[in-house]
Amino acid sequence: MISVWHYLAVAAVLFSLGLVGFLTRRNLITMFLSAELMLQAVVINLLAFARFHATMSGQVFALFVVTVAACEAGVAMAMFIALYRRNRSLDATVWQQLRETGVPATTDPEKLPTVPGELADDPKLTPAGKKPQEVARV
Amino acid sequence: MNLFAATTAGNAVSQLATGVILGALAFYWLLPRPKGRSVAFGTFAAIASAVVLVSWVVRQFGDPARDTVGQVLFWLFSGGAVLFAAIFVSQRNPARGAIAFAFVIVSVCGLFLLLAAPFLMAATIVIYAGAIIVTFLFVLMLSHTGEMADENDRSREPLLGSLAGFAFLGLVLLAMYQSSPTAVAEAGRPEQKLPARPVTAEERAELLSLATDLQLAAAAKTKDELHERTKDLRDRFADIVGIPPSAPESGERTNAAHSIPDRLAIARDPQAIAIARQAEDLRSAVRQTLNQVENTTLKANPTAADMAAAVKGLANLREKAVLLAGRGELPARNVANIGYSLYTDYLLAVEMAGSILLVATIGAVAIAGRKGAAA
Repeated sequence: MISVWHYLAVAAVLFSLGLVGFLTRRNLITMFLSAELMLQAVVINLLAFARFHATMSGQVFALFVVTVAACEAGVAMAMFIALYRRNRSLDATVWQQLRETGVPATTDPEKLPTVPGELADDPKLTPAGKKPQEVARV
Repeated sequence: MNLFAATTAGNAVSQLATGVILGALAFYWLLPRPKGRSVAFGTFAAIASAVVLVSWVVRQFGDPARDTVGQVLFWLFSGGAVLFAAIFVSQRNPARGAIAFAFVIVSVCGLFLLLAAPFLMAATIVIYAGAIIVTFLFVLMLSHTGEMADENDRSREPLLGSLAGFAFLGLVLLAMYQSSPTAVAEAGRPEQKLPARPVTAEERAELLSLATDLQLAAAAKTKDELHERTKDLRDRFADIVGIPPSAPESGERTNAAHSIPDRLAIARDPQAIAIARQAEDLRSAVRQTLNQVENTTLKANPTAADMAAAVKGLANLREKAVLLAGRGELPARNVANIGYSLYTDYLLAVEMAGSILLVATIGAVAIAGRKGAAA
């Protein structure tokens, strides 16, 4: 028998995974998606309570959560464009001059290894077939 | 004719006939012979016949594996959501991360369906499909570097961040455990009221079996049969709706604290109050009807009118039990009820959500729309 507790547990796991992602990742887009993950976890909670109390209110709240998430997505994407125009980077640490006074700056002591030229792990299509032969022009 | 919903006897027969004819056609097409064989048609007909017949069996005789299917789906969706969330968080390439996030959304939508929210499932898929494609475009546009980059290959305080996240998870799960039924039962405290369903599945099953027994009792012909079939009903009802006020054995029972009216006593929402009232109603009906039945069976020679009145009371009682068993489910017409709820109870919130969307649109245009302001 699946009870409300199972759903709450799944939602808690998803929320904390989103929390870890938001705290540790430095790519603005990944941070944004982590926040969305946390919102989804909250929506699962709302729907589980709605189901087990047999009221519609939880589903209506979830609808509003989705609305606010859409607003957030619009504003966040616009901000990413504006920030990228300034610094040519999606790294959140680039903006650390906005941090609180008295907090030491984040530095990256170890250098990243440079991979010459190749895309690191982007999906690629394997080339198929043969190169077409040149047709002799007449 | 609806093939999958046999509600009346005629429909049931025609569905059965459809399944049988489809099966016969299937083997007509499938059996080997020199001319007139068609494997494609045969396979199709065989599958269709199997579907129709299985749905007929399930409709007529009850679902053998309903709980199993629900559990398998739950574990599949929740496992998928957690697995892909982990991949998403730990993936260095943001494009692959976005794809993993899409799978998280799909799994979560499966959970929504299990939670009886089909409208939200569809809305979430539509919204997030768009959102994820936009995210994907952004990643390809802004962050598509070949080399390793600061934003993808470094994490901010990986150890402290993961510790914080999982400490949070542990605290939440611990808090849930402390108020969960098992822990509460071990500690001997009174049961928590909040996360209990108004009518639990066990109570529903017990109410339905009581209804069956009442139907049997109402079919009793003689006084002795009636007495035999109604003698333990009072105790079984008392387990669910509490003790009837003037029951003779009221002093002996101690577990009545878990009955529906007591569990819902502090609830404020109208539906819980309605259920509590219905349970109360059922409780008084149990007392009246069973007293009447007892009076009838205690008489040396009950008249036909007495017997008829007792039987009628039992039938009424059965209807009340069935009605109460049906409470505690979400309405079947999900979209209609969400719409009704939105435009009656939450109209102000709808207007405010509209304003927020408008402001967000204006804000997005204002933030991103400056041409050549890259300085």
